Amino acid sequence: MTRDEIKDVVLEIIADIDEDAEMEGLNPDEPLRDQLDLDSMDFLDIVMELRKRYKLQIPEEDYPELATLTSCVNYLEPKLQNL
Amino acid sequence: MADSHYSLIIVGGGLSGLAAGIRFARFGESVLILEKHAIPGGLNSYYYRKNFLLETGLHAMTNYAAPKERQAPLNRLFRQLNLSRKQFNTHEQFSSRILFKDQLSLDFSNDISLLRENISAIFPHSIDSFDALLKFVQEYDPFTPREWISTRQTLNDYLKDPVLINMILLPLMVYGNSEEHDMDLGQFVIMFRSIFMEGFFRPDDTIKEFLDLLIDKFKSLGGEIRYKHGVSSFIQDGDAIKGVMLDNNKELYCDAIISTIGSPGTEKLLVGSPQSKHPVGQMSFVESIYILPHECKKTIVNDQTIIFYSLADDFDYCRPKHPIDSQWGVICFPENFKGLPPADHFQIRTTHAANYDLWKNVSRQEYKQMKGKYAQESRGVIEEIIGNFYQNVVYEDSFTPVTIEKFTGKECGAVYGSPLKVKDGRTAFNNLFVAGTDQGYLGIIGSMLSGVTVVNQHILSAG
Ligand SMILES: Cc1cc2nc3c(=O)[nH]c(=O)nc-3n(C[C@H](O)[C@H](O)[C@H](O)COP(=O)(O)OP(=O)(O)OC[C@H]3O[C@@H](n4cnc5c(N)ncnc54)[C@H](O)[C@@H]3O)c2cc1C
Repeated sequence: MTRDEIKDVVLEIIADIDEDAEMEGLNPDEPLRDQLDLDSMDFLDIVMELRKRYKLQIPEEDYPELATLTSCVNYLEPKLQNL
Repeated sequence: MADSHYSLIIVGGGLSGLAAGIRFARFGESVLILEKHAIPGGLNSYYYRKNFLLETGLHAMTNYAAPKERQAPLNRLFRQLNLSRKQFNTHEQFSSRILFKDQLSLDFSNDISLLRENISAIFPHSIDSFDALLKFVQEYDPFTPREWISTRQTLNDYLKDPVLINMILLPLMVYGNSEEHDMDLGQFVIMFRSIFMEGFFRPDDTIKEFLDLLIDKFKSLGGEIRYKHGVSSFIQDGDAIKGVMLDNNKELYCDAIISTIGSPGTEKLLVGSPQSKHPVGQMSFVESIYILPHECKKTIVNDQTIIFYSLADDFDYCRPKHPIDSQWGVICFPENFKGLPPADHFQIRTTHAANYDLWKNVSRQEYKQMKGKYAQESRGVIEEIIGNFYQNVVYEDSFTPVTIEKFTGKECGAVYGSPLKVKDGRTAFNNLFVAGTDQGYLGIIGSMLSGVTVVNQHILSAG
Protein backbone atom coordinates (compact mmCIF):
# COMPACT_ATOMS: atom_id res chain seq x y z
CA MET A 1 0.00 0.00 0.00
CA THR A 2 1.14 3.51 -0.69
CA ARG A 3 1.32 6.15 2.01
CA ASP A 4 -1.82 7.77 0.64
CA GLU A 5 -3.71 4.51 0.68
CA ILE A 6 -2.67 3.87 4.25
CA LYS A 7 -3.77 7.33 5.25
CA ASP A 8 -7.18 6.74 3.67
CA VAL A 9 -7.54 3.44 5.46
CA VAL A 10 -6.81 5.05 8.82
CA LEU A 11 -9.29 7.86 8.16
CA GLU A 12 -11.91 5.38 7.05
CA ILE A 13 -11.45 3.31 10.19
CA ILE A 14 -11.75 6.41 12.37
CA ALA A 15 -14.89 7.53 10.54
CA ASP A 16 -16.44 4.14 11.17
CA ILE A 17 -15.59 4.27 14.87
CA ASP A 18 -16.74 7.82 15.43
CA GLU A 19 -19.65 9.13 13.40
CA ASP A 20 -18.91 12.65 14.64
CA ALA A 21 -15.29 12.75 13.55
CA GLU A 22 -14.55 15.89 11.53
CA MET A 23 -11.81 14.83 9.17
CA GLU A 24 -11.60 18.11 7.38
CA GLY A 25 -8.88 20.37 8.62
CA LEU A 26 -7.20 17.55 10.49
CA ASN A 27 -3.58 18.41 11.14
CA PRO A 28 -1.60 15.24 10.28
CA ASP A 29 1.12 16.09 12.77
CA GLU A 30 -1.05 16.84 15.79
CA PRO A 31 -2.26 14.03 18.06
CA LEU A 32 -5.48 12.49 16.74
CA ARG A 33 -6.86 12.20 20.24
CA ASP A 34 -6.72 15.94 20.83
CA GLN A 35 -8.35 16.79 17.54
CA LEU A 36 -11.03 14.15 17.37
CA ASP A 37 -12.07 13.54 20.93
CA LEU A 38 -11.11 9.89 20.70
CA ASP A 39 -10.80 8.16 24.04
CA SER A 40 -8.67 5.15 24.90
CA MET A 41 -11.60 2.86 24.21
CA ASP A 42 -11.97 4.21 20.66
CA PHE A 43 -8.26 3.96 20.25
CA LEU A 44 -8.27 0.25 21.04
CA ASP A 45 -10.94 -0.18 18.40
CA ILE A 46 -8.58 1.27 15.79
CA VAL A 47 -5.97 -1.28 16.83
CA MET A 48 -8.49 -4.11 16.69
CA GLU A 49 -9.80 -3.06 13.31
CA LEU A 50 -6.25 -3.09 11.93
CA ARG A 51 -5.76 -6.51 13.44
CA LYS A 52 -8.93 -7.77 11.86
CA ARG A 53 -8.30 -6.32 8.41
CA TYR A 54 -4.59 -7.01 8.00
CA LYS A 55 -3.83 -9.60 10.71
CA LEU A 56 -1.54 -7.01 12.24
CA GLN A 57 -0.53 -7.54 15.85
CA ILE A 58 0.27 -4.16 17.34
CA PRO A 59 1.86 -4.62 20.77
CA GLU A 60 0.85 -2.20 23.49
CA GLU A 61 4.28 -0.60 23.66
CA ASP A 62 3.82 0.51 20.03
CA TYR A 63 0.57 2.41 20.67
CA PRO A 64 2.36 5.77 20.94
CA GLU A 65 3.41 5.28 17.32
CA LEU A 66 -0.22 5.71 16.36
CA ALA A 67 -0.59 9.12 17.97
CA THR A 68 -0.78 11.29 14.85
CA LEU A 69 -1.91 10.59 11.32
CA THR A 70 1.65 10.96 10.03
CA SER A 71 3.09 8.69 12.70
CA CYS A 72 0.40 6.10 11.93
CA VAL A 73 1.41 6.09 8.28
CA ASN A 74 5.11 5.89 9.19
CA TYR A 75 4.47 2.98 11.49
CA LEU A 76 2.16 1.06 9.18
CA GLU A 77 4.02 1.63 5.91
CA PRO A 78 6.60 -1.16 6.31
CA LYS A 79 4.01 -3.51 7.78
CA LEU A 80 1.59 -3.05 4.91
CA GLN A 81 4.05 -2.65 2.07
CA ASN A 82 3.29 -6.03 0.52
CA LEU A 83 -0.45 -5.57 0.41
CA MET B 1 -16.57 -30.28 11.72
CA ALA B 2 -16.21 -26.75 10.36
CA ASP B 3 -19.83 -25.80 10.98
CA SER B 4 -19.93 -27.12 14.52
CA HIS B 5 -16.95 -25.18 15.86
CA TYR B 6 -17.07 -21.49 16.82
CA SER B 7 -14.58 -19.10 18.37
CA LEU B 8 -17.28 -17.97 20.75
CA ILE B 9 -20.64 -19.40 21.77
CA ILE B 10 -23.03 -17.19 23.71
CA VAL B 11 -25.80 -18.81 25.71
CA GLY B 12 -28.89 -16.58 25.63
CA GLY B 13 -30.17 -14.05 23.12
CA GLY B 14 -31.29 -11.43 25.64
CA LEU B 15 -29.86 -7.92 25.59
CA SER B 16 -26.53 -8.85 27.14
CA GLY B 17 -26.06 -11.78 24.75
CA LEU B 18 -26.87 -9.67 21.70
CA ALA B 19 -24.50 -6.91 22.77
CA ALA B 20 -21.73 -9.40 23.49
CA GLY B 21 -22.39 -11.02 20.11
CA ILE B 22 -22.13 -7.77 18.18
CA ARG B 23 -18.99 -6.71 19.98
CA PHE B 24 -17.26 -9.99 19.25
CA ALA B 25 -18.55 -10.31 15.66
CA ARG B 26 -17.03 -6.90 14.96
CA PHE B 27 -13.46 -7.88 15.73
CA GLY B 28 -13.36 -11.60 16.34
CA GLU B 29 -13.90 -14.71 14.29
CA SER B 30 -17.00 -16.90 14.29
CA VAL B 31 -19.69 -16.37 16.90
CA LEU B 32 -22.96 -18.17 17.59
CA ILE B 33 -25.78 -17.12 19.91
CA LEU B 34 -27.98 -19.95 21.17
CA GLU B 35 -31.43 -18.87 22.33
CA LYS B 36 -33.93 -21.23 23.84
CA HIS B 37 -36.94 -19.11 22.97
CA ALA B 38 -38.37 -18.51 19.46
CA ILE B 39 -37.54 -14.78 19.55
CA PRO B 40 -34.75 -12.67 21.04
CA GLY B 41 -34.89 -10.26 23.97
CA GLY B 42 -35.22 -12.49 27.02
CA LEU B 43 -36.71 -10.45 29.87
CA ASN B 44 -37.25 -7.54 27.54
CA SER B 45 -39.03 -9.04 24.62
CA TYR B 46 -42.54 -8.74 23.14
CA TYR B 47 -45.60 -10.74 22.20
CA TYR B 48 -48.81 -10.22 20.28
CA ARG B 49 -52.33 -10.33 21.70
CA LYS B 50 -55.39 -9.21 19.77
CA ASN B 51 -53.27 -7.25 17.30
CA PHE B 52 -51.49 -5.38 20.06
CA LEU B 53 -47.77 -5.69 20.31
CA LEU B 54 -47.09 -5.93 24.02
CA GLU B 55 -43.65 -5.41 25.47
CA THR B 56 -42.73 -7.77 28.27
CA GLY B 57 -40.54 -5.30 30.08
CA LEU B 58 -39.90 -1.91 28.66
CA HIS B 59 -41.05 0.88 30.96
CA ALA B 60 -38.17 3.11 30.12
CA MET B 61 -34.56 2.84 29.22
CA THR B 62 -32.14 4.29 31.75
CA ASN B 63 -28.80 6.12 31.36
CA TYR B 64 -30.11 8.92 29.15
CA ALA B 65 -27.41 11.05 27.51
CA ALA B 66 -27.60 13.48 24.61
CA PRO B 67 -25.56 12.34 21.59
CA LYS B 68 -22.87 14.96 22.17
CA GLU B 69 -21.96 13.62 25.63
CA ARG B 70 -19.39 11.28 24.23
CA GLN B 71 -18.19 9.75 27.48
CA ALA B 72 -21.66 8.88 28.79
CA PRO B 73 -22.31 5.13 29.15
CA LEU B 74 -25.14 5.14 26.60
CA ASN B 75 -23.03 6.75 23.90
CA ARG B 76 -19.97 4.66 24.61
CA LEU B 77 -22.18 1.60 24.31
CA PHE B 78 -23.38 2.71 20.89
CA ARG B 79 -19.83 3.36 19.70
CA GLN B 80 -18.63 0.01 20.99
CA LEU B 81 -21.40 -1.70 19.05
CA ASN B 82 -20.77 0.42 15.96
CA LEU B 83 -24.37 1.64 16.05
CA SER B 84 -25.30 5.16 15.06
CA ARG B 85 -26.36 7.17 18.09
CA LYS B 86 -27.47 10.02 15.82
CA GLN B 87 -29.96 7.82 14.03
CA PHE B 88 -31.30 6.47 17.30
CA ASN B 89 -34.07 8.86 18.23
CA THR B 90 -34.65 9.18 21.91
CA HIS B 91 -37.45 10.73 23.93
CA GLU B 92 -36.78 11.84 27.46
CA GLN B 93 -39.25 11.46 30.29
CA PHE B 94 -41.25 14.44 31.43
CA SER B 95 -40.76 13.84 35.12
CA SER B 96 -41.36 11.00 37.50
CA ARG B 97 -42.70 11.00 41.02
CA ILE B 98 -41.84 9.20 44.22
CA LEU B 99 -45.05 9.24 46.20
CA PHE B 100 -45.18 8.18 49.81
CA LYS B 101 -48.14 8.06 52.15
CA ASP B 102 -50.01 11.25 52.91
CA GLN B 103 -49.14 12.81 49.58
CA LEU B 104 -45.50 13.24 50.41
CA SER B 105 -43.89 13.45 47.01
CA LEU B 106 -40.56 14.03 45.31
CA ASP B 107 -40.40 14.72 41.59
CA PHE B 108 -37.33 14.05 39.50
CA SER B 109 -36.41 14.38 35.85
CA ASN B 110 -33.28 13.85 33.78
CA ASP B 111 -31.96 17.03 35.31
CA ILE B 112 -30.88 16.32 38.89
CA SER B 113 -31.74 19.89 39.92
CA LEU B 114 -35.46 19.05 40.00
CA LEU B 115 -34.86 16.36 42.61
CA ARG B 116 -32.62 18.73 44.57
CA GLU B 117 -35.28 21.45 44.57
CA ASN B 118 -37.91 18.99 45.72
CA ILE B 119 -35.74 17.70 48.52
CA SER B 120 -34.89 21.19 49.54
CA ALA B 121 -38.61 22.09 49.73
CA ILE B 122 -39.80 18.96 51.53
CA PHE B 123 -36.75 17.93 53.55
CA PRO B 124 -35.04 21.30 54.07
CA HIS B 125 -32.83 19.91 56.84
CA SER B 126 -31.43 17.30 54.51
CA ILE B 127 -30.42 19.30 51.47
CA ASP B 128 -26.82 19.78 52.52
CA SER B 129 -26.42 16.13 53.29
CA PHE B 130 -28.07 15.27 49.97
CA ASP B 131 -25.48 17.43 48.21
CA ALA B 132 -22.77 15.57 50.06
CA LEU B 133 -24.30 12.28 48.94
CA LEU B 134 -24.37 13.51 45.33
CA LYS B 135 -20.70 14.31 45.52
CA PHE B 136 -19.99 10.91 46.99
CA VAL B 137 -21.94 9.15 44.21
CA GLN B 138 -20.08 11.12 41.55
CA GLU B 139 -16.71 10.21 42.94
CA TYR B 140 -17.27 6.58 43.94
CA ASP B 141 -15.88 3.88 41.66
CA PRO B 142 -18.53 1.15 41.64
CA PHE B 143 -16.62 -1.09 39.22
CA THR B 144 -13.71 -2.01 41.45
CA PRO B 145 -14.49 -5.39 42.97
CA ARG B 146 -14.77 -5.11 46.77
CA GLU B 147 -16.60 -6.53 49.75
CA TRP B 148 -20.33 -5.94 50.10
CA ILE B 149 -21.07 -2.58 51.72
CA SER B 150 -24.50 -1.70 53.13
CA THR B 151 -26.29 1.06 51.24
CA ARG B 152 -28.74 1.62 54.08
CA GLN B 153 -25.86 2.15 56.49
CA THR B 154 -24.21 4.60 54.12
CA LEU B 155 -27.46 6.49 53.58
CA ASN B 156 -28.06 6.63 57.32
CA ASP B 157 -24.68 8.27 57.69
CA TYR B 158 -25.40 10.82 54.98
CA LEU B 159 -29.11 11.57 55.02
CA LYS B 160 -30.34 10.42 58.42
CA ASP B 161 -34.02 11.07 57.64
CA PRO B 162 -35.52 7.56 57.30
CA VAL B 163 -38.40 8.67 55.08
CA LEU B 164 -36.11 10.43 52.65
CA ILE B 165 -33.85 7.38 52.58
CA ASN B 166 -36.77 5.12 51.71
CA MET B 167 -38.02 7.51 49.06
CA ILE B 168 -34.66 7.57 47.34
CA LEU B 169 -34.25 3.82 47.58
CA LEU B 170 -37.63 2.87 46.12
CA PRO B 171 -36.97 3.57 42.41
CA LEU B 172 -33.41 2.31 42.61
CA MET B 173 -34.35 -0.94 44.28
CA VAL B 174 -37.39 -1.78 42.22
CA TYR B 175 -35.49 -1.14 38.97
CA GLY B 176 -32.40 -3.09 39.82
CA ASN B 177 -31.84 -4.73 43.17
CA SER B 178 -31.56 -8.49 43.50
CA GLU B 179 -31.17 -8.46 47.29
CA GLU B 180 -33.92 -8.10 49.84
CA HIS B 181 -33.99 -5.20 52.37
CA ASP B 182 -30.63 -3.66 51.56
CA MET B 183 -28.44 -3.12 48.53
CA ASP B 184 -24.77 -3.33 47.78
CA LEU B 185 -23.27 0.16 47.69
CA GLY B 186 -21.69 -0.31 44.25
CA GLN B 187 -25.06 -1.34 42.85
CA PHE B 188 -26.66 1.68 44.50
CA VAL B 189 -24.17 4.03 42.89
CA ILE B 190 -24.71 2.48 39.44
CA MET B 191 -28.49 2.73 39.81
CA PHE B 192 -28.40 6.25 41.28
CA ARG B 193 -26.40 7.52 38.33
CA SER B 194 -28.41 5.70 35.70
CA ILE B 195 -31.79 6.83 37.07
CA PHE B 196 -31.36 10.13 38.95
CA MET B 197 -28.35 11.61 37.18
CA GLU B 198 -28.74 10.29 33.63
CA GLY B 199 -32.39 9.37 33.59
CA PHE B 200 -35.25 7.80 31.68
CA PHE B 201 -35.97 7.79 27.97
CA ARG B 202 -37.61 5.71 25.30
CA PRO B 203 -36.71 5.15 21.68
CA ASP B 204 -39.16 6.08 18.87
CA ASP B 205 -40.49 2.58 18.61
CA THR B 206 -40.94 -0.51 20.71
CA ILE B 207 -38.44 -3.01 22.04
CA LYS B 208 -39.10 -5.04 18.88
CA GLU B 209 -37.50 -2.46 16.59
CA PHE B 210 -34.62 -2.10 19.02
CA LEU B 211 -34.04 -5.85 19.02
CA ASP B 212 -34.32 -5.89 15.20
CA LEU B 213 -31.61 -3.23 15.06
CA LEU B 214 -29.32 -5.37 17.21
CA ILE B 215 -30.03 -8.57 15.30
CA ASP B 216 -29.42 -6.85 11.95
CA LYS B 217 -26.14 -5.46 13.18
CA PHE B 218 -25.06 -8.82 14.56
CA LYS B 219 -25.86 -10.62 11.33
CA SER B 220 -24.30 -7.96 9.13
CA LEU B 221 -21.05 -8.52 11.00
CA GLY B 222 -21.24 -12.24 10.29
CA GLY B 223 -22.76 -13.42 13.56
CA GLU B 224 -25.12 -16.37 13.68
CA ILE B 225 -28.10 -16.81 15.98
CA ARG B 226 -30.22 -19.93 16.42
CA TYR B 227 -33.61 -19.73 18.07
CA LYS B 228 -35.32 -22.65 19.80
CA HIS B 229 -31.86 -23.95 20.54
CA GLY B 230 -31.60 -24.37 24.28
CA VAL B 231 -28.34 -25.50 25.83
CA SER B 232 -28.79 -28.51 28.08
CA SER B 233 -25.23 -28.95 29.34
CA PHE B 234 -21.63 -27.93 28.89
CA ILE B 235 -19.03 -30.34 27.53
CA GLN B 236 -16.23 -30.12 30.04
CA ASP B 237 -12.57 -30.86 29.56
CA GLY B 238 -10.59 -30.36 32.75
CA ASP B 239 -10.87 -26.74 33.74
CA ALA B 240 -12.11 -25.64 30.33
CA ILE B 241 -15.41 -25.96 28.47
CA LYS B 242 -15.04 -27.55 25.04
CA GLY B 243 -18.55 -26.95 23.86
CA VAL B 244 -22.24 -27.35 24.54
CA MET B 245 -24.85 -30.05 24.32
CA LEU B 246 -28.16 -28.79 22.98
CA ASP B 247 -31.67 -29.80 24.00
CA ASN B 248 -31.86 -31.72 20.72
CA ASN B 249 -28.75 -33.69 21.74
CA LYS B 250 -26.51 -32.09 19.13
CA GLU B 251 -23.03 -31.02 20.19
CA LEU B 252 -21.29 -27.78 19.26
CA TYR B 253 -17.69 -26.85 20.05
CA CYS B 254 -16.04 -23.54 20.82
CA ASP B 255 -12.90 -21.83 22.12
CA ALA B 256 -14.71 -19.66 24.64
CA ILE B 257 -18.20 -19.37 26.03
CA ILE B 258 -20.27 -16.59 27.57
CA SER B 259 -23.35 -17.47 29.57
CA THR B 260 -26.03 -14.84 30.06
CA ILE B 261 -28.53 -17.08 31.81
CA GLY B 262 -27.46 -16.24 35.35
CA SER B 263 -25.12 -17.99 37.74
CA PRO B 264 -27.58 -20.55 39.15
CA GLY B 265 -28.70 -21.44 35.60
CA THR B 266 -25.10 -21.66 34.41
CA GLU B 267 -24.11 -23.93 37.29
CA LYS B 268 -26.95 -26.27 36.35
CA LEU B 269 -25.41 -26.80 32.91
CA LEU B 270 -22.23 -28.12 34.47
CA VAL B 271 -22.24 -31.89 34.60
CA GLY B 272 -21.96 -33.27 38.12
CA SER B 273 -21.64 -29.77 39.48
CA PRO B 274 -21.51 -29.46 43.24
CA GLN B 275 -24.27 -27.66 45.13
CA SER B 276 -24.96 -24.27 43.63
CA LYS B 277 -22.79 -21.54 45.09
CA HIS B 278 -25.06 -18.77 43.91
CA PRO B 279 -28.34 -18.40 45.75
CA VAL B 280 -31.42 -17.83 43.64
CA GLY B 281 -32.83 -14.30 43.98
CA GLN B 282 -35.99 -13.82 46.00
CA MET B 283 -37.30 -10.73 44.25
CA SER B 284 -39.85 -11.21 41.54
CA PHE B 285 -42.77 -9.18 40.29
CA VAL B 286 -46.26 -9.20 38.91
CA GLU B 287 -46.69 -6.89 35.97
CA SER B 288 -50.03 -5.74 34.60
CA ILE B 289 -50.62 -4.00 31.29
CA TYR B 290 -53.80 -2.02 30.61
CA ILE B 291 -54.62 -0.67 27.19
CA LEU B 292 -56.99 2.26 26.88
CA PRO B 293 -58.17 4.41 23.99
CA HIS B 294 -55.82 7.29 23.30
CA GLU B 295 -58.34 9.91 24.50
CA CYS B 296 -58.10 8.63 28.06
CA LYS B 297 -54.57 9.95 28.32
CA LYS B 298 -55.77 13.47 29.16
CA THR B 299 -57.93 12.36 32.03
CA ILE B 300 -55.28 10.30 33.73
CA VAL B 301 -51.87 11.87 33.73
CA ASN B 302 -50.61 15.36 33.52
CA ASP B 303 -46.93 15.04 33.15
CA GLN B 304 -45.65 12.12 35.15
CA THR B 305 -43.91 9.43 33.20
CA ILE B 306 -43.49 6.97 36.06
CA ILE B 307 -44.87 6.97 39.61
CA PHE B 308 -43.11 5.01 42.35
CA TYR B 309 -45.45 4.77 45.31
CA SER B 310 -45.53 3.41 48.80
CA LEU B 311 -48.60 3.56 51.00
CA ALA B 312 -46.44 3.38 54.10
CA ASP B 313 -43.30 5.33 54.82
CA ASP B 314 -41.29 2.38 56.04
CA PHE B 315 -40.93 0.75 52.66
CA ASP B 316 -39.25 -2.67 52.87
CA TYR B 317 -37.98 -4.22 49.66
CA CYS B 318 -38.51 -7.98 50.07
CA ARG B 319 -40.43 -10.99 48.87
CA PRO B 320 -43.95 -10.46 50.24
CA LYS B 321 -45.76 -12.96 52.45
CA HIS B 322 -48.79 -12.71 50.14
CA PRO B 323 -48.92 -13.41 46.39
CA ILE B 324 -48.39 -9.69 45.73
CA ASP B 325 -47.57 -6.64 47.80
CA SER B 326 -49.82 -3.84 46.64
CA GLN B 327 -48.54 -1.54 49.40
CA TRP B 328 -45.82 -0.29 47.10
CA GLY B 329 -45.15 -0.49 43.41
CA VAL B 330 -44.63 1.24 40.10
CA ILE B 331 -47.13 2.85 37.74
CA CYS B 332 -45.70 3.61 34.33
CA PHE B 333 -47.14 5.42 31.31
CA PRO B 334 -44.96 4.27 28.42
CA GLU B 335 -46.57 6.68 25.94
CA ASN B 336 -45.81 9.64 28.16
CA PHE B 337 -42.35 10.67 26.98
CA LYS B 338 -41.45 13.99 25.35
CA GLY B 339 -42.22 14.10 21.66
CA LEU B 340 -43.12 10.45 21.21
CA PRO B 341 -45.10 10.00 18.02
CA PRO B 342 -48.77 9.64 19.04
CA ALA B 343 -49.95 6.06 19.40
CA ASP B 344 -53.52 4.98 18.78
CA HIS B 345 -53.84 3.71 22.31
CA PHE B 346 -52.65 4.56 25.76
CA GLN B 347 -50.98 2.13 28.13
CA ILE B 348 -50.71 1.87 31.86
CA ARG B 349 -48.27 -0.63 33.33
CA THR B 350 -48.09 -1.54 36.98
CA THR B 351 -45.50 -3.54 38.88
CA HIS B 352 -45.70 -5.11 42.35
CA ALA B 353 -43.34 -7.37 44.24
CA ALA B 354 -44.65 -10.93 44.20
CA ASN B 355 -44.02 -14.23 45.95
CA TYR B 356 -42.88 -16.91 43.49
CA ASP B 357 -43.75 -19.91 45.70
CA LEU B 358 -47.32 -18.81 46.21
CA TRP B 359 -47.85 -18.52 42.45
CA LYS B 360 -45.98 -21.70 41.65
CA ASN B 361 -47.52 -24.21 44.03
CA VAL B 362 -51.15 -23.96 42.92
CA SER B 363 -53.34 -25.70 40.35
CA ARG B 364 -54.05 -24.08 36.98
CA GLN B 365 -57.50 -23.21 38.12
CA GLU B 366 -56.34 -21.57 41.36
CA TYR B 367 -53.64 -19.72 39.46
CA LYS B 368 -56.23 -18.17 37.17
CA GLN B 369 -58.41 -17.17 40.09
CA MET B 370 -55.43 -15.65 41.86
CA LYS B 371 -54.57 -13.62 38.80
CA GLY B 372 -58.06 -12.15 38.78
CA LYS B 373 -58.15 -11.55 42.50
CA TYR B 374 -54.80 -9.83 42.79
CA ALA B 375 -55.25 -7.79 39.64
CA GLN B 376 -58.35 -6.40 41.33
CA GLU B 377 -56.51 -5.71 44.58
CA SER B 378 -53.78 -3.92 42.65
CA ARG B 379 -56.27 -1.83 40.68
CA GLY B 380 -57.97 -0.72 43.87
CA VAL B 381 -54.71 0.81 45.05
CA ILE B 382 -53.64 2.20 41.67
CA GLU B 383 -56.98 3.93 41.06
CA GLU B 384 -56.65 5.65 44.43
CA ILE B 385 -53.49 7.21 43.08
CA ILE B 386 -54.21 8.01 39.44
CA GLY B 387 -58.01 8.03 39.41
CA ASN B 388 -60.44 5.57 37.89
CA PHE B 389 -59.46 4.15 34.56
CA TYR B 390 -60.60 0.55 34.54
CA GLN B 391 -63.99 1.27 32.96
CA ASN B 392 -62.16 2.35 29.79
CA VAL B 393 -59.76 -0.56 29.46
CA VAL B 394 -60.00 -2.26 26.06
CA TYR B 395 -57.42 -4.93 26.73
CA GLU B 396 -55.50 -6.11 29.75
CA ASP B 397 -52.93 -8.74 30.50
CA SER B 398 -50.70 -9.58 33.39
CA PHE B 399 -47.81 -11.84 34.11
CA THR B 400 -46.45 -13.38 37.26
CA PRO B 401 -43.13 -14.77 38.55
CA VAL B 402 -44.17 -18.12 37.02
CA THR B 403 -44.59 -16.54 33.57
CA ILE B 404 -41.19 -14.87 33.88
CA GLU B 405 -39.54 -18.15 34.80
CA LYS B 406 -41.27 -20.01 32.00
CA PHE B 407 -40.29 -17.61 29.24
CA THR B 408 -36.83 -16.52 30.31
CA GLY B 409 -35.54 -19.44 32.34
CA LYS B 410 -34.84 -17.06 35.25
CA GLU B 411 -35.20 -19.37 38.23
CA CYS B 412 -38.03 -18.36 40.55
CA GLY B 413 -38.75 -15.50 38.17
CA ALA B 414 -35.88 -13.62 39.81
CA VAL B 415 -35.76 -10.72 37.37
CA TYR B 416 -32.57 -9.29 38.83
CA GLY B 417 -30.87 -12.61 39.27
CA SER B 418 -28.82 -13.91 42.16
CA PRO B 419 -27.89 -11.59 45.04
CA LEU B 420 -24.33 -12.82 44.71
CA LYS B 421 -22.86 -11.07 41.66
CA VAL B 422 -19.75 -12.07 39.73
CA LYS B 423 -18.30 -8.63 39.06
CA ASP B 424 -15.36 -9.79 36.96
CA GLY B 425 -17.45 -12.29 34.98
CA ARG B 426 -15.09 -15.16 35.77
CA THR B 427 -16.08 -18.70 36.68
CA ALA B 428 -14.22 -21.81 37.85
CA PHE B 429 -13.57 -22.62 34.16
CA ASN B 430 -10.90 -20.66 32.35
CA ASN B 431 -12.89 -20.05 29.14
CA LEU B 432 -16.39 -19.71 30.61
CA PHE B 433 -17.61 -16.25 31.57
CA VAL B 434 -20.92 -14.85 32.78
CA ALA B 435 -22.42 -11.65 31.45
CA GLY B 436 -25.68 -9.80 31.97
CA THR B 437 -27.85 -9.90 35.03
CA ASP B 438 -25.55 -11.94 37.25
CA GLN B 439 -22.47 -9.94 36.45
CA GLY B 440 -24.22 -7.14 38.29
CA TYR B 441 -25.31 -4.76 35.55
CA LEU B 442 -29.06 -4.52 35.31
CA GLY B 443 -31.67 -3.14 33.00
CA ILE B 444 -31.55 -2.90 29.25
CA ILE B 445 -28.58 -0.56 28.93
CA GLY B 446 -26.78 -2.09 31.91
CA SER B 447 -27.01 -5.65 30.65
CA MET B 448 -25.76 -4.55 27.23
CA LEU B 449 -22.79 -2.79 28.82
CA SER B 450 -22.08 -6.01 30.66
CA GLY B 451 -22.02 -8.04 27.44
CA VAL B 452 -19.58 -5.59 25.86
CA THR B 453 -17.35 -5.41 28.93
CA VAL B 454 -17.01 -9.17 29.29
CA VAL B 455 -16.08 -9.56 25.62
CA ASN B 456 -13.52 -6.75 25.85
CA GLN B 457 -11.92 -7.95 29.07
CA HIS B 458 -11.87 -11.67 28.56
CA ILE B 459 -12.33 -12.62 24.93
CA LEU B 460 -10.93 -9.96 22.62
CA SER B 461 -7.97 -9.13 24.82
CA ALA B 462 -6.85 -12.76 24.81
CA GLY B 463 -6.65 -13.01 21.00
C1 LIG C 1 -41.45 -6.90 33.94
C2 LIG C 1 -40.08 -6.35 33.68
C3 LIG C 1 -39.93 -5.00 33.41
C4 LIG C 1 -38.65 -4.48 33.15
N1 LIG C 1 -38.57 -3.17 32.82
C5 LIG C 1 -37.38 -2.64 32.49
C6 LIG C 1 -37.30 -1.31 32.05
O1 LIG C 1 -38.30 -0.60 31.94
N2 LIG C 1 -36.08 -0.80 31.73
C7 LIG C 1 -34.95 -1.55 31.83
O2 LIG C 1 -33.88 -1.04 31.52
N3 LIG C 1 -34.99 -2.83 32.24
C8 LIG C 1 -36.18 -3.39 32.56
N4 LIG C 1 -36.25 -4.70 32.97
C9 LIG C 1 -34.97 -5.43 33.22
C10 LIG C 1 -34.32 -5.88 31.94
O3 LIG C 1 -35.28 -6.48 31.11
C11 LIG C 1 -33.23 -6.91 32.22
O4 LIG C 1 -32.35 -6.39 33.20
C12 LIG C 1 -32.40 -7.26 30.99
O5 LIG C 1 -33.23 -7.47 29.88
C13 LIG C 1 -31.55 -8.48 31.29
O6 LIG C 1 -30.91 -8.98 30.14
P1 LIG C 1 -29.97 -10.25 30.20
O7 LIG C 1 -29.45 -10.44 28.83
O8 LIG C 1 -29.00 -10.11 31.30
O9 LIG C 1 -30.88 -11.49 30.65
P2 LIG C 1 -32.13 -12.19 29.94
O10 LIG C 1 -32.99 -11.20 29.30
O11 LIG C 1 -32.72 -13.05 30.99
O12 LIG C 1 -31.48 -13.10 28.80
C14 LIG C 1 -31.17 -14.46 28.96
C15 LIG C 1 -31.62 -15.23 27.73
O13 LIG C 1 -31.15 -16.57 27.83
C16 LIG C 1 -32.15 -17.45 27.35
N5 LIG C 1 -31.89 -18.76 27.95
C17 LIG C 1 -32.08 -19.16 29.23
N6 LIG C 1 -31.65 -20.41 29.42
C18 LIG C 1 -31.16 -20.85 28.23
C19 LIG C 1 -30.54 -22.07 27.80
N7 LIG C 1 -30.35 -23.09 28.63
N8 LIG C 1 -30.15 -22.16 26.50
C20 LIG C 1 -30.32 -21.11 25.65
N9 LIG C 1 -30.89 -19.94 26.01
C21 LIG C 1 -31.30 -19.80 27.29
C22 LIG C 1 -33.44 -16.82 27.79
O14 LIG C 1 -34.52 -17.28 26.99
C23 LIG C 1 -33.13 -15.33 27.57
O15 LIG C 1 -33.48 -14.91 26.27
C24 LIG C 1 -37.52 -5.29 33.20
C25 LIG C 1 -37.67 -6.65 33.46
C26 LIG C 1 -38.94 -7.18 33.67
C27 LIG C 1 -39.10 -8.66 33.87
